[in-house]
Parts: sequence; structure tokens; C-alpha cells
Amino acid sequence: MNAAVLPDPPAFRFGPITRQDLVRYAGAAGDFNPLHYDDAFARSAGLPGVMAHGMFSAGLLGSFLVAWVEDRRVRRFRLRFKSPVWPGDMLQATGSVVRSYQVDGGRVAELVLKLGRQDGSEVVTAMAEVECA
Amino acid sequence: MSDDGDVVLADWTHPVEWGKVREFARAVHDPRLGREPPVPPLTFPVVLSAEFIERFVSELLPLDRRRTVHGEQDYEYLKPLQVGQVIRCRAKVLRDEVKQGQRGGRMRLVTVEVKLTDASSGETVGFERMTAIEQEALTS
Repeated sequence: MNAAVLPDPPAFRFGPITRQDLVRYAGAAGDFNPLHYDDAFARSAGLPGVMAHGMFSAGLLGSFLVAWVEDRRVRRFRLRFKSPVWPGDMLQATGSVVRSYQVDGGRVAELVLKLGRQDGSEVVTAMAEVECA
Repeated sequence: MSDDGDVVLADWTHPVEWGKVREFARAVHDPRLGREPPVPPLTFPVVLSAEFIERFVSELLPLDRRRTVHGEQDYEYLKPLQVGQVIRCRAKVLRDEVKQGQRGGRMRLVTVEVKLTDASSGETVGFERMTAIEQEALTS
């Protein structure tokens, strides 16, 4: 039933996360929160060191979503941040179709997505709505 | 005031620039990187609102970044963003409340919404909503 709505998601692995990834994202996004580049500031917040931007992880999950649904129109992308990403982390993304329903002029698939670490712990969970022909 | 009568916290315009879209697509490893014209990644609207969010978190609220985490991010897409567009952004606070945390202590939840419209046509292209959570400071 749902299997025909979309192909299976592609394998998506990313890492190990480097400081260069964090700095590149900070510049691209214009997000210079020192938690993401200043170890001393991060330690003053009780962290072991700098962590990745939540929106960097969100961006990676968005890239996985685009790789999966290709040029189909995404209507909604809602993300929940579960745990921080640290330099050295290996990440992988998974996703599945929850349901699909008819709307005017086509079908919409509701997807759940997850970005996790290699130990299985969650980094970001998300839902998306995608228009399928 | 916005069209629907809510108080607008900030109102600004931001172009969707060729170079910025490519730079962002590269940073998040978008599989469409290299297309011409570049296709804005799904989370690209953060670029449009970055300066406002910085001012919102550091000055307007403000929140202590050492105790603040990003809880949620939510996008509604009505029309695709395109390089060359100028986007008008209007921000409003949807929620600013203090709740009891699950592990004791209180936390402040703030959700801000940025409505994105095409500055030329006035057409709404989407919404971006961000929720930040500030934990209560520990007292000795």
C-alpha cells in the first residue's frame, strides 16, 4: 500500500563530524553562537567541548530527505532535537512512510525520519509531508 | 501589526543569493549541490533569519546561551524559494512561557515564527518556527 508511494530511502551515513564541518556551517548559516567554535565557552556551559549546531544536524537530515524524495514537493518538515552532535560522531539517517492520503490533485505521504549515531542514540527526529504523484 | 492582527516583532527583507545558497548547500551536503541555478536546501530559511535570531536570543528576550537548547524547528513550504527572490520576513512570538521541567527546575519555552513572503508579489512562500528552551539557573 504505502510501499508504492515512494521508493525505499537511500543509505545515508555521514562522519566522522569534524570541526571544519562546524565552522563551515557557522559561516554558511551566519550562526556564530560560541558554543559551536569556542571550547572555553562550551566548557563554561558544562559541556566537554564544542558541539555541532542543531541546525547543522537538521540540514543533514534535510539532505537525506531530499536524496530520498528527489524533486517531489516537500510541504512540511518538522524537527525535534534530541541530543547534541560532537566532533568525531558518526551519523546515519533512516526514514519510513507512515501513511499516505489523497488531497486535491494528488497524494501526500507522511514520513518519519531519524538522524542517529552509530550506537543507535537519537540526534534529531522529524516528520515530513511530501507530495507524491 | 501583521495582516492577522498579531504584533510583529521584526520586519525585514533578505535576498536569496546565488553564492549563499551554494555555500549553505555545501555545508549541509545537499544532494542537489551543483545544479544551476542552485536550489535552496530545506533548512535554508535559517540564513534569512540568522541576524534576527541572534538579536532575538541575545538582546530582545534575552536567553542565557549556556542554559539554552534548541528544542524544535518547523517548516511549512507553500512555494519553493528561488535564487534571485527577495523575501520579506515578519517575526512574531507564538509562545513564551515557563513550565515545570521533568527533572525538576523550571524551564522557559519560547517559540518564534517567521512568515516568509515574496517581497515583489506579496505571496506567502512559507513559515519557519523555532522553539528554544532555557533551563532555570542552578542556585547554590
